[in-house]
Amino acid sequence: MINLIRAELRKLFSTKLWLWLLLGACVLSGGSAALLIGFADQAAASPESGIPPVESDAFTQLALAAGANAVVFFLILGIIGMTQEYRHRTATPTFLATPKRGQVVLAKLLTYLGISLLFAVVVNAVVIAVALPWLSAKGAPVSLSGENLEVLLSSIGAAALYGLVGVGVGALLRNQVAAVVGALVYLFVAEPILRSVPATAPAYKFLPGGVLESITATVGTTDLLQRWQGALLLAGYGIVLAVLGWVFAVRRDIS
Amino acid sequence: MSTSTQTTSEAAAPTRVVVSDLSKRFGSVHAVDRLSFVVEPGQVTGFLGPNGAGKTTTLRMALGLITPDSGSATFGGTPYSALSRPSSQVGAVLETAFHPGRSGRSHLRVYCAAAGISDERADAVLTQVGMTDAAKRKTGGYSLGMRQRLGLATALLGDPQVLILDEPANGLDPEGIQWLRNFMQHLAHDQGRTILVSSHLLAEVQQTVDRIVIIAGGKLVREGTIAELADPARASVHLRSPNAVTLHQALIGAGAQVETTSPGELTVRGMPIAAIGHLAFTSGVELHELRTATTDLEEIYFRLTAGQEEFKGVPNEPSAAVAP
Repeated sequence: MINLIRAELRKLFSTKLWLWLLLGACVLSGGSAALLIGFADQAAASPESGIPPVESDAFTQLALAAGANAVVFFLILGIIGMTQEYRHRTATPTFLATPKRGQVVLAKLLTYLGISLLFAVVVNAVVIAVALPWLSAKGAPVSLSGENLEVLLSSIGAAALYGLVGVGVGALLRNQVAAVVGALVYLFVAEPILRSVPATAPAYKFLPGGVLESITATVGTTDLLQRWQGALLLAGYGIVLAVLGWVFAVRRDIS
Repeated sequence: MSTSTQTTSEAAAPTRVVVSDLSKRFGSVHAVDRLSFVVEPGQVTGFLGPNGAGKTTTLRMALGLITPDSGSATFGGTPYSALSRPSSQVGAVLETAFHPGRSGRSHLRVYCAAAGISDERADAVLTQVGMTDAAKRKTGGYSLGMRQRLGLATALLGDPQVLILDEPANGLDPEGIQWLRNFMQHLAHDQGRTILVSSHLLAEVQQTVDRIVIIAGGKLVREGTIAELADPARASVHLRSPNAVTLHQALIGAGAQVETTSPGELTVRGMPIAAIGHLAFTSGVELHELRTATTDLEEIYFRLTAGQEEFKGVPNEPSAAVAP
């Protein structure tokens, strides 16, 4: 398994994909933290925005949670990590080298969980670098302990688990374009609809997007799962998708 | 390093490949139909058939990439999926596709890691296939010939005892084909390895291989050595003569099978070319042309590719009987 993880790491770092996705995640997270803090005074002027005042702990936590906006990059990283084997037809040499295909899927799950964790640390370091100096300049309370730290760790954990879910989605769908588009449409179109329809709204908190919110949201967390419940459920989604992928897709003929 | 010693000891044993009773249907199409043949070590075996004959499906089934409906393939008695170190026992080139953004060398190092092979092998096989100069370039810019060489390099990483190549000459220039031919013969004849090479072109493999397995429509057509199948004594002979009718009679009388292809031209089977020449001489018949038309092998293959639908297979030679 160590060998297979080394192979997966070499696959990842021998193309430029990781760099673009990491860069994208950093820009999105750092950018959203910057926008939030930059427009904080205007937002505070209109109380209906729901954004807490700049000097509050709640605002600091909201700014520090900016990394959670980038989970979609981790989802895509995991999806491409799995589906590129089919897209570029490297599944043939990969499964020739490792005929027990389940081991390849397991190695990818572990690799992308670990790499997502590492990348999420980088993304959150960017968020801290943007948010902390700026917040202290505005006279807001700044510390990386207690609840603030919890917000950062949750964002890192959610990103890592989304990398895992991405591998699962990729294993099940095999087709890279279908998997990426399908996952994005699901997260940004299908799930908001499910959430707004009264009949399906109660299920929202158990769905991947609702679970993400339960892990990373700092305001409006009523009707959501506990953080640890959400994290467990998200890991479960990744593993169940990967097992289904192994049973229904990865074991299929490679021709 | 323990890895390399283990590789050597495993690679030392000559490995026989046995394909028995393999079948695969895709919908209503019998891609491969109860196919059995044996690939012996120390020889280059050609796996020949027209496009769509089921060659690639057979190779992919043997290597565990496609699940057969029935039958099995073994390498030294073990199915591919049960090999302890597959990359060091069997090398296969089935694909000339790579991740376009990855360099050739990085591609090889991925599979060094996956198979637990020392990284030095990546550079060694690059040298072996003559790809050192292009190693650091992205495979997206490779020609088909370079991709063939990189595929071969991947298969050679584990220094395997068995090498399976699917249409490896596609995209190679004449010089590359000559190189590949010598390389395969060196591996088989000098090192005792087992080489199976597929092709849809008889001319491509005829010069290279020792034995040949011909399939069509997923079924075995012929199996045997080149010497058996391309025996000049069994070739048909073409002749042209102003006295063709006289010679026709004489040849029939001598027990040959004769066919008049056009006025003044005959095709003769079942008689060596020297005997035909002698008969013409003793009969006082003037000859304008006398030449070997096709070998048995060429004729079989020509009939295969010309009219695949009508082809029902020819009776197997005793020597071509399927080994268990």
